[in-house]
Amino acid sequence: MKFTQHELGPGVRLHLCPTDKFKTLTCKVFIQQELRPWEAASTALVPLLLRRGSQKLPTTLDLARQMEELYAADFGSDVLKIGERQILEFQFQMIDPSYLPQGNMLMRRGLETFWEIASRPYGNGSFHEPYFEQEKHTLLQELEGLVNDKRAYALARCTALMCQGEPFGIYKYGDADTVRSLANQEVYGHYQKLLHSYPLDIFVVGSQAEQAAQLLAELIPGREGQIQLEPAQQVEVGQPRYFEEHMDVQQAVVVMGYRTNTSYLDEDYYALLVGNGILGGFAHSKLFINVRERAQLAYYVWSSLEGSKGLLTISAGIGPEQQGQALQIIEAQVREVQEGRISPEELEQTKLGLIRSMNSMNDSPSGLIDRNLIGIVHDRMRTIEEVVESIAVVDRKAVVRAMEKVQLDTTYILRPSPQKGADHGTD
Amino acid sequence: MEQISVPGGETVFVERLENGLAVLVLPRKQFVRTYGVLSVNYGSLDSQFQTAGQGVVEVPPGIAHFLEHKLFEEPDGSVFDRFAALGGSVNAFTSYSQTSYLFTTVENWRESLLYLLEFVNRLHLTEENVEKEKGIIEQELRMYADHPDHRILSTLLENLYHQHPVRLDIGGTVESVRRITKGELESCYHIFYQPGNMALVVVGDLDPEETCALVRAHYPRREPGPSVERLDPQEPSSIVKPWAEAELPISRPRYMLGFKHDPIWRGEELLRMQIAMALGLRLVAGRSSQAYAELYEAQLIDDSYWASFRGHPRFAHSLLSSETDEPEALHERLRGIINRLQASGVDEGEVERLKKGFFGMFLAALDSFEYTANRITAQYFEGTPYHRYLEILQGVTAQEVHRALCELLDWERSSVSILRPVKNHG
Repeated sequence: MKFTQHELGPGVRLHLCPTDKFKTLTCKVFIQQELRPWEAASTALVPLLLRRGSQKLPTTLDLARQMEELYAADFGSDVLKIGERQILEFQFQMIDPSYLPQGNMLMRRGLETFWEIASRPYGNGSFHEPYFEQEKHTLLQELEGLVNDKRAYALARCTALMCQGEPFGIYKYGDADTVRSLANQEVYGHYQKLLHSYPLDIFVVGSQAEQAAQLLAELIPGREGQIQLEPAQQVEVGQPRYFEEHMDVQQAVVVMGYRTNTSYLDEDYYALLVGNGILGGFAHSKLFINVRERAQLAYYVWSSLEGSKGLLTISAGIGPEQQGQALQIIEAQVREVQEGRISPEELEQTKLGLIRSMNSMNDSPSGLIDRNLIGIVHDRMRTIEEVVESIAVVDRKAVVRAMEKVQLDTTYILRPSPQKGADHGTD
Repeated sequence: MEQISVPGGETVFVERLENGLAVLVLPRKQFVRTYGVLSVNYGSLDSQFQTAGQGVVEVPPGIAHFLEHKLFEEPDGSVFDRFAALGGSVNAFTSYSQTSYLFTTVENWRESLLYLLEFVNRLHLTEENVEKEKGIIEQELRMYADHPDHRILSTLLENLYHQHPVRLDIGGTVESVRRITKGELESCYHIFYQPGNMALVVVGDLDPEETCALVRAHYPRREPGPSVERLDPQEPSSIVKPWAEAELPISRPRYMLGFKHDPIWRGEELLRMQIAMALGLRLVAGRSSQAYAELYEAQLIDDSYWASFRGHPRFAHSLLSSETDEPEALHERLRGIINRLQASGVDEGEVERLKKGFFGMFLAALDSFEYTANRITAQYFEGTPYHRYLEILQGVTAQEVHRALCELLDWERSSVSILRPVKNHG
């Protein structure tokens, strides 16, 4: 399934996919900006404020009731991090009008409600002050709450340590000190600027995508010019770094961050994707087979790729006493791929797996839309067919060429305290 | 095949094969994926049972989950590799009452389906591969133990239940897993992995007759097992203790409230109760409720606040949970909210609005193969009619919702579980 593109004016792009395959109508709007400390924190606050209320629906209760009247329509907003861009996302999903009584009327009401919530938050020339203070508090709790999920926490810590001083080191929700310092007027001003002058992409999937898009085009403001954004920084790797943190946990979490020196626009990108898959993207991958199945050191172990900045991350939960052995086996697997010790089956299975994941995107409106984010950021959209074709032609030599460029930068380990009662946080 | 219409213009095709296996196919035009899931009506609850030959048997907790791990082992390589070679992926999960093996694929769905049937019907155990799995499962259990969502729930269930195995972790404990033997695994496999105790659900753009014929022709022959009776221990109606606290390295406290119910409903009645309680709990924890607004304004809950009714033929309880800085204050407020709701009755307009929402959610869920197939399976095993969901939903009244809330949210049979941050953290 393909999107057709329409330029709605400078900086506003519309992507349409009319289809009667799904039971829902799905719309997403993405606004992108460079990842910077103040902007990241300010923008992270916006989704929390939007769900508190709008001009016409001033409380969460009003919003939720209106959504139920629309047969469980769903408004969502979040911020995403793709490379060194932060993306403000608004999404709206409702039952496809063809399944509803008076569907077209409900669709119009639904889309009007969507844009009302996304663009007209409750308040007068700023956010409603009590909401602003409460949601600042919520965001701070969210940041502090990262530690509750040890896997996500370890991943975030490794990224922050590895990319200290680079935009990518900024967490997608910003940092607590910046959040504390935020002022209502300034955040509101920045949010208005995002709505009115930053690059904006609208995606619509559903049986009446054209009609829906027309309605949205009337609602979403045009803009005078387009702000030009900077590409991601490339960094030279020095000596690999090692960090350890202690907490009262039962299991050690290992995260290893590598720089791939290859990203989305590079020729080797799909070879790198395949290389990562061979290493740790699947249950047939080297990491899973050798760390889990053969050595029984972990329940989970995988590697994943951040294709925009160009980072490869390995993550595993292991018994604390087996840390040395686990690291050794993990690093050996990376070398195996780099040195081309890849069987024809490994290569083939990995390519098939990646192609399956890519084709499967066709079956979910969100999958269809979200896979384009990296293309938006790099201003080079690729269709599912193009990507499948690029994966299909990758051979062993190409994988080796891409993987040879991959360098270990930072190892981070979250471990049980040596004895109970010891302090946490000894890097 | 029998054809059952599902709201949203879809049809489920059903056939019970001669060997007892239920085959359910949901065709979805234009979709590129095929999702198949073969499930056994056997989960962590089934650790005590009686067979014709053996009399009463009690096995260590965690066997169903252990078996799930072991079925992926083949004498000549791993199941993962075989699916990967076909371009598909394979996975499995174990719940209280069900073990499921699933694949998803875009190409070669026939071969993938047949291989699913083949590997689930073959057990390859050696003393050595049983021992080595224990290390992997131990890491899995430790991973859960570090997770607050998991810890708070296990504590709560231990508070609510004296005897019933729902109080134990699905995977068992590190200690019970170490005790499990090859012989016990083989015996449970033989008893429970029988086609008459299993169901296959397939979703995708495929022909249901062809799918069923394929399964009929190729389903592996199995030596019939003994008839088995599952024995749930006599569970007193009282709770074990009303309050328990634990510490974990987390950022702020978490609160969970649970109500224990008698699992007295079957079939349509059970589905009706599931719907009535789902609606009722929306009045306590739904974003569109006064209660939510009140608790949020008082900063006693955040986005993590949820409530749910878990009703099964063998156990039933309701759970409410949130992160909160003041668990005691939240508990007091919730008491007030629930008491008020029980005293004042339930507004009909509100229930009608919630029903519109449930209608929408049901339709939207049809696009998720995983969700729909798992729901069809679970409802098949528990004997609740999936295809009549919307019809029953329409019939549920505000009075019924109110009565369910009054009868089931009984403070005498409630308990609280709290997790607090470890003092030295942060």
